[in-house]
Amino acid sequence: MVGTVRAARHRATARAGFAVALAVGAVAIFGALGLIGELVDPGRWFLIGSAVVAGAAALADLAGLRVRPQLHLQVPEPWRRTMPLPRALFLYGLLLGTGLTTFVPAVAAWALLPLTVAVGLPGAIAIGLSFAAGRAAPVLLVRDEAALAERPHGLRAMRVLAAASLVLALAAGEAQAATKVALRGGDPSAAGTDLVWQQPGVGGVLLRDGGQTQLPGNDPALGGTRIAWHDGDEVTVADSGTLQPVLQLAIPGVEKLAVSDTWFVYRVGLANGKEQLRGFAFADPTRTTTISAALKRGALGRPSLSADTVLYHVAGPAGSALFLFDLATSRRLRLRSSAQSQVLNPDRVGSKLLYVRLSRCDQELRLGPLDGNGAGRVLYKLPPLAGQDAGHEPGHTRQGEHLPCGRPPKPTSRMLWTTALSGTTAYVTVLRPGSGGVMTPSLLAISR
Amino acid sequence: MLSEAVAESSSRRGFLARAGKFLLAVSGTGVVAAALRAQQAEAFHFCGHIYTTGSCPHPTGLPRIDRAGFPLRASDGQPVDDLGRPINSKGQPVDARGHVLLDPDGTPLPSAPRTPICEAAAKAHRFKAYHDGSWYRCCGGHIRRLMDCCGYVRNRINGDAALTGYCYHGRRVFCVMYYDSKIKC
Repeated sequence: MVGTVRAARHRATARAGFAVALAVGAVAIFGALGLIGELVDPGRWFLIGSAVVAGAAALADLAGLRVRPQLHLQVPEPWRRTMPLPRALFLYGLLLGTGLTTFVPAVAAWALLPLTVAVGLPGAIAIGLSFAAGRAAPVLLVRDEAALAERPHGLRAMRVLAAASLVLALAAGEAQAATKVALRGGDPSAAGTDLVWQQPGVGGVLLRDGGQTQLPGNDPALGGTRIAWHDGDEVTVADSGTLQPVLQLAIPGVEKLAVSDTWFVYRVGLANGKEQLRGFAFADPTRTTTISAALKRGALGRPSLSADTVLYHVAGPAGSALFLFDLATSRRLRLRSSAQSQVLNPDRVGSKLLYVRLSRCDQELRLGPLDGNGAGRVLYKLPPLAGQDAGHEPGHTRQGEHLPCGRPPKPTSRMLWTTALSGTTAYVTVLRPGSGGVMTPSLLAISR
Repeated sequence: MLSEAVAESSSRRGFLARAGKFLLAVSGTGVVAAALRAQQAEAFHFCGHIYTTGSCPHPTGLPRIDRAGFPLRASDGQPVDDLGRPINSKGQPVDARGHVLLDPDGTPLPSAPRTPICEAAAKAHRFKAYHDGSWYRCCGGHIRRLMDCCGYVRNRINGDAALTGYCYHGRRVFCVMYYDSKIKC
């Protein structure tokens, strides 16, 4: 193949055509596998199995074991003689790009197939493009094909590289899926590159420049140049850079906080057992604005604040909704609502809205437009909170059954909960079941 | 057995079943009758349902409901919300031991909607739901009440033409559901 490329009159054009064809072939075959993965949704065990196969393949390549199974096929040699070279190279590229029609150079190539199905789209496209790059590199970079063939060390090095890239791909895929920020922590709030969260039984934690600082209070919130926390009913608002208090006051029953440069908003537990959202401007802390009605405990979400707007959820037996309340005008806007699913814990940066959507068949962390136009995208996903039965009773046929989820759900007891959004990263609390029904939080970061 | 007899004698399908068996017995084909009986019992997707209309959409699959039409988990009768989660009498989600699920601060997690499954089907398919007649069978040692979710519909949940079943005043069966009583049979 190296010789064919070098024989072309316009070598650069021939190389480009070959590389493009490789990419097209690889994207077609790996994209199709990814699409199958999307449609079939092979599940967690298939993903684990694929990762195990990939690990074994990487080990086999590192150890230099024989590639098995092997295809003893070559690209059709007559094309080189019967067609113009650029066209022949393009077709060779298409064949090589598929990875399944010619000699298989490394065991890792086989391992990519189930991995691609497990990963689904768009990860499969990335795998295809990486595969194409790996296949194109030796053809385009090596000058003497005979030298490569005569030196087993060269081929061995390529296999080691293939194995290493496979392991890196696995690690990178896992890392990109979600990074655990805090094993025991939740209710995040972010501003710029700073992040705060609540560690149960310990208090607020500030993460800045890779270092963690224990805050002297609970339920910390960040916004603009401010940071806030509370110790019982005593609320402190401080400069986020120096952590020096700029305002301290007592708010009986204060529970959750949100802060910006001009406003302070909080959820407060009332004497009648209900909860309410209230706020005030730093310009006049004595004048309180009522943001929400007093609602049954558990129905009102944690507030988040962006400039003059408060975002929060209301959820209950009648359904759930995300609201935006403009503190400057006292106008309320319903951003999302659902009578069957639960939409919870919104946060925003600019025109982007981050929220959790719990539905019958999955749990999603969604990032979408604030105005509700367009579905947005799913940044992170968990299986649903409940399984389903067979749809028919034992000894009966499936005729007439009606199952809620197209694919049998693999339920989880982990639940997506509070969120925070920064310019580059989305944060979400994942609740795990604990003793006595009290859930334990962990905090994940997902790249936007 | 008395209740089963009462239940069977109170429905047209019970009558047809007995009449069919009688005719077969007269013609001396008892073996065939037994085979038909077995086939009939297993032909549809849950006990007592002997026609082809599909289940009403239900959070966990089989269309088991309580007296008011709200969804119950078929395997154990546990009330579930629209997300399929087990809930307590107040509608709060609970864990496997019945503890109310609480966030890390001890605040109950928000309750999800819980919709009667016939009403949910009606809303999803844009018709007004009616509960008209019912029929009864002995299933798993208890009397089961089988109910049609009726409406002024042309097509049933299966997608083809809806049947009259136990619906009145021109209404037709959109989907079916059942309530398991505690009455032994």
